[in-house]
Amino acid sequence: MPVSATNWADEVDGEEQPQTFTDANGITTHIEYRINEDGKKVKITRRTQKKLIHDKVNKAVATRKKWPKFGKEKGSKPGPDPATTNVGDNIKLKLSSTGKVIEEVDEKQEAIKQQLQNKKILCRICKGDHFTTKCPYKDSLGVEDAGASTPPVEEAIPEAEQQGSKYIAPHMRAGATPKDRDAMREKRDEQPTLRVTNLSEDATEADVSELFKRFGHISRVFLARDRETNVCKGFAFVSFTMRDDAERALEAIDGRGYDNLILRVEWAKSSA
Amino acid sequence: MRPILLQGHERSLTQIKYNREGDLLFSVSKDHVVNAWYSHNGERLGTYDGHVGAVWTVDVNSSSTLLISGSADNTAKLWDVSNGKCLKSWEFNTAVRRVAFSEDSKSVMLITEPRMGFSATLQIFDVQNGVEGPIASEPTVIFHPEGPKITVAEWGPLDKYIVAGCENGSVALIDPKTGEFVSRNKVHEATITDLQMSTDKTYFITSSKDKSAKILETSTLEVLKTYVTDTPLNSASIMPKIQEFVVIGGGQEAMDVTRTSSRQGKFECRFWHKVLEEEVGRVRGHFGPINTIAIHPDGRSFASGGEDGYVRVHHFDDDFFSFKFQI
Repeated sequence: MPVSATNWADEVDGEEQPQTFTDANGITTHIEYRINEDGKKVKITRRTQKKLIHDKVNKAVATRKKWPKFGKEKGSKPGPDPATTNVGDNIKLKLSSTGKVIEEVDEKQEAIKQQLQNKKILCRICKGDHFTTKCPYKDSLGVEDAGASTPPVEEAIPEAEQQGSKYIAPHMRAGATPKDRDAMREKRDEQPTLRVTNLSEDATEADVSELFKRFGHISRVFLARDRETNVCKGFAFVSFTMRDDAERALEAIDGRGYDNLILRVEWAKSSA
Repeated sequence: MRPILLQGHERSLTQIKYNREGDLLFSVSKDHVVNAWYSHNGERLGTYDGHVGAVWTVDVNSSSTLLISGSADNTAKLWDVSNGKCLKSWEFNTAVRRVAFSEDSKSVMLITEPRMGFSATLQIFDVQNGVEGPIASEPTVIFHPEGPKITVAEWGPLDKYIVAGCENGSVALIDPKTGEFVSRNKVHEATITDLQMSTDKTYFITSSKDKSAKILETSTLEVLKTYVTDTPLNSASIMPKIQEFVVIGGGQEAMDVTRTSSRQGKFECRFWHKVLEEEVGRVRGHFGPINTIAIHPDGRSFASGGEDGYVRVHHFDDDFFSFKFQI
């Protein structure tokens, strides 16, 4: 023990020897002193309680547990071998009394099925009612001007893919008609939307909504992010429900400093 | 719960079975191997090597001393459970589809397939000498059951009957003394894939390719409960204790699997309330159809074997035991 490392206060203690004692509750306390990496003396106290758990097993089961291994496992050590035995991911078994388990899946499926019933599958090659890839004239005729006047077939394909928890775009959801898509866009355009530019890279949707929500109810915040790095591209769109709120926000925030940058806020131009 | 994955097979599982105490789990698959596992931690106890064809079926006697396996190599083999030694190998003209020890473990029943001009047979062998004594090479009785092909079979209560499930969806009671059909009831529309007894053998559950599982009374073959699902079923099992559930599993035909995502394949173990015929939960995990399900005799864990070659042993969480069905 280097003398320089010890503090004079520690030496006064004089309890250098490790101590072990057991109290009435059967808890063993073990105290020891050690010098840690920084050269300081530390006191380590460990309290342990030993508990013997008796588990009654069938005698036959107990004997079987001691059987030597055989066959391909001959000579293997006791205990599970990771080559054959692994622990899988945690799986939740949610028990419910409502019988909802089935409905959830079925309703979705039915809705999609019904939706697809009205939709026509149209081959781009021969205009028959099958998928283009399955067209019997695929080789002889070939795909003519792909993506031209005929509607793309992709609308019918999602049958196989839209399952369970996968995201389903609103216009694809049960009961939606193709018109809904346009309606939704119109609705979005109607809303007073601000374009916020010169945002810092660290900005998140939460930051932006935090900044704007004091002016009124925000219906949507869109923050453009880089596809790969997922950092902010520097601009965002904020839609308000009320035009007045949006105007006030525009006046207040435009030209304000935020994260060392001066924000620029203006009315968003319609994308149409 | 975190399932224990047992990777002892390279091909699809055909049957798994717990012994009477549930400490051992036996699994057989199309890759010729019979595996024995400790069910509590998934440790492999050993393998029973000797088959040269797909092993279709396995059963263990009540004292866990003898194991029988039936295979597509036209043999059935009797093994010493403790050391993997083959005690006896019976050879037949065709593949062995189903084996089962009788309730008294004194005899064993085998069902062979009809094939290549040979008719299906139901044979019973005497194995009461067990590990020590000599084992008969010839069956005590041999029957040639007429009618539709038997796919699954079990012994009834007190070994009075043999309950057989057939390819056309009918179940039949066979008298093990005379080999005659006592009664028959067509309960399913398609082939019966599994038949498992309740603990007291007074009723049993069948699963079928017609997407339903049914509980039948053994003595009358009357349908007591029906569980209708949306996928062909390969296995069904009755939970013996704690919860009044049945566990059924299946999935799309193995040949169609590559064309679908695993979610659409419906490769889940489904838990149904036994009495109220309501689905209560699902356990996913396999990425192929589930071929066989077995429930631990104490009702605290269950195992499933799939076309994907894995056996998954699930020990239930505490909330499973406290669950009460609300009507």
